[in-house]
Amino acid sequence: MTSKVTINRLATGVPGLDEILAGGLPEFSFNLIAGQPGCGKTTLAHQIMFALATPERPAIYFTVLGEPPLKMLRYQQQFDFFDTEVINKSIRFINLSDDALAGELDRVLKRIVDEVTQHSPALVFVDSFRSVVLASGTDANPHNSLQQFVQQLGVLMASWQATTFLIGEYFIETDANPVFTVCDGLIWLRQSVQRNSMVRKMEIMKMRGQPTLPGLHTFRIGTSGVEVFPPARATTPTDVSANALLQAPRLLMGVPGLDDMLGGGLPRGYSLLVAGPSGSGKSILAAAFLAEGARGGETGVIAAFEQNPHRSRNRIVADLIAGGQVGLVENQAGLSIDEVLCMLMREIRRLGASRVVIDSLSGFELALAPTFREDFRESLSNLVTALAAVGVTVLMTSELEDRYTDLRFSPYGAAFMTDAIIVQRYIEVESRLRRVMAVAKVRASAHSDQLREYGIDAEGIHIGEMLPNQEGLLGGRPAKKAVPRADAGLPS
Amino acid sequence: MQSQESDGIAAFLSRTASDGASSRQIASAVTSAFQGIDQALTPIIGKRGVAALYKRTVHLAGRTHSWLAVPMEGVPTAMDVAALAGALEARTAADAAAAGTLLLQTFHELLTTLVGPSLTERLLRPVWAVFLSGPSAKDTTT
Repeated sequence: MTSKVTINRLATGVPGLDEILAGGLPEFSFNLIAGQPGCGKTTLAHQIMFALATPERPAIYFTVLGEPPLKMLRYQQQFDFFDTEVINKSIRFINLSDDALAGELDRVLKRIVDEVTQHSPALVFVDSFRSVVLASGTDANPHNSLQQFVQQLGVLMASWQATTFLIGEYFIETDANPVFTVCDGLIWLRQSVQRNSMVRKMEIMKMRGQPTLPGLHTFRIGTSGVEVFPPARATTPTDVSANALLQAPRLLMGVPGLDDMLGGGLPRGYSLLVAGPSGSGKSILAAAFLAEGARGGETGVIAAFEQNPHRSRNRIVADLIAGGQVGLVENQAGLSIDEVLCMLMREIRRLGASRVVIDSLSGFELALAPTFREDFRESLSNLVTALAAVGVTVLMTSELEDRYTDLRFSPYGAAFMTDAIIVQRYIEVESRLRRVMAVAKVRASAHSDQLREYGIDAEGIHIGEMLPNQEGLLGGRPAKKAVPRADAGLPS
Repeated sequence: MQSQESDGIAAFLSRTASDGASSRQIASAVTSAFQGIDQALTPIIGKRGVAALYKRTVHLAGRTHSWLAVPMEGVPTAMDVAALAGALEARTAADAAAAGTLLLQTFHELLTTLVGPSLTERLLRPVWAVFLSGPSAKDTTT
């Protein structure tokens, strides 16, 4: 009987990394973590090590030259994953600087062999392996020494059943480096700077035998370490049946009269765009939507991208957040769409939420790091699709400059990607600024075509009647319809 | 420094001196502790890393006990415990115990400021276990 080898996949303990690795790190693989200084290589290596190392699966972390080990231990301790109790038990740090300073590459390799033989680690880290060769100075061509060193180390580690990580500074990934050929996995970390913002990005340039997710994936380093934000398609299994959603009762909006205008509420799993000028009551409508959900025992999530986070939030939303019925995804500097989606998904899962509000798209775009703004429309479409895939109903608000010469719904072309649209406008009637609202679209559903006046007071939005005596409402300056006079044609 | 290890070191060396130990015995106990530290830390931070911490320790303790401040020039490459043993043996037992206590406490504190109390305790736990159990203080030279 023949049987193919089964490659175990190790869970890295780095949120999001296993998803982009398509299931974790292959056991006994020989990996290179590369990137410029300060891009998070050592932190990533430590986080993986602390997650994977156990007394049965011990790790050795070889430090060579570069960051002094004392400093490394000092700074890595700041992360939550660093557990001092496992040092010298399941994790052993071994410094090779004295061997490296002697300038003999063979001596460094021998030392590694000796330690690996003595302790039989299942995980081996060499930080930084490049300095091993640079310190040797034995060869005019450092590539040759590096390749030999890495080749020998690779052979040794594979036969010693150790999953190995080489950590090294590299500046140019296109450099035809033989080491890249030797390794099984190549994880490249970058710091992308555009204007005044810096975004960390990770790329799995190579991982033998794994259908990894191509492209650049943003990540953030916080007190809990590295968190990678996989793209929407990796995180959202489409396990929600569209038919089941269509058959479920529609969601009520919490604004009297609006459900009737929508043809009986908003179909579950739909995305709704509420477009209107500043002050038209979009956020109030969004708050009513969340409050109505809470009234019926549903939970929600709001992604609030306010211009001024210190300004007091809508009282209804603040109470819902305080009461735990609504989760909050707050604005942070230099966001990516994938990160926002990760935060939304986390809250949706935590609360079992069925209603999501993004308030507003304009604030959302401003919250993104400049490098992501170019792709905003495409990314937003992915985000809406991903949210629909988990069956939540999404309400997005969009700031709309009132133009009375045309009817637009969103500056982002968001209208085509949403299932329903409510548009709000200002009109001038008898020297007063009044508001009108209409349902412009509800996909696959009958809905009202009425343009209804509405008012806002402390209780919220009140939808009134149509203004049948006015015409040209969307032009902003409606005029009274000419009413045929009853005495027309009679002599005066 | 307020730590269990620090109190233990002070109490142990003070008791050893008052029990009539010679300065040679105290020097032996102190140097053994530093050798234990060397063995515990060299694999992790390298010989030069330990030597640099030791040099700083002697420098700091030399402010109180000026006779400890042996001139060390250049970048230290190893811990010179022989010089320390010589300096301690030349003093009275009480002086040697006081200086030895200060040296060990200073080293412990120095490492604590760099890597924190938790990791320091984890790394030096075996050293203090041997040191405070006392056999190294016994005079085996007579």
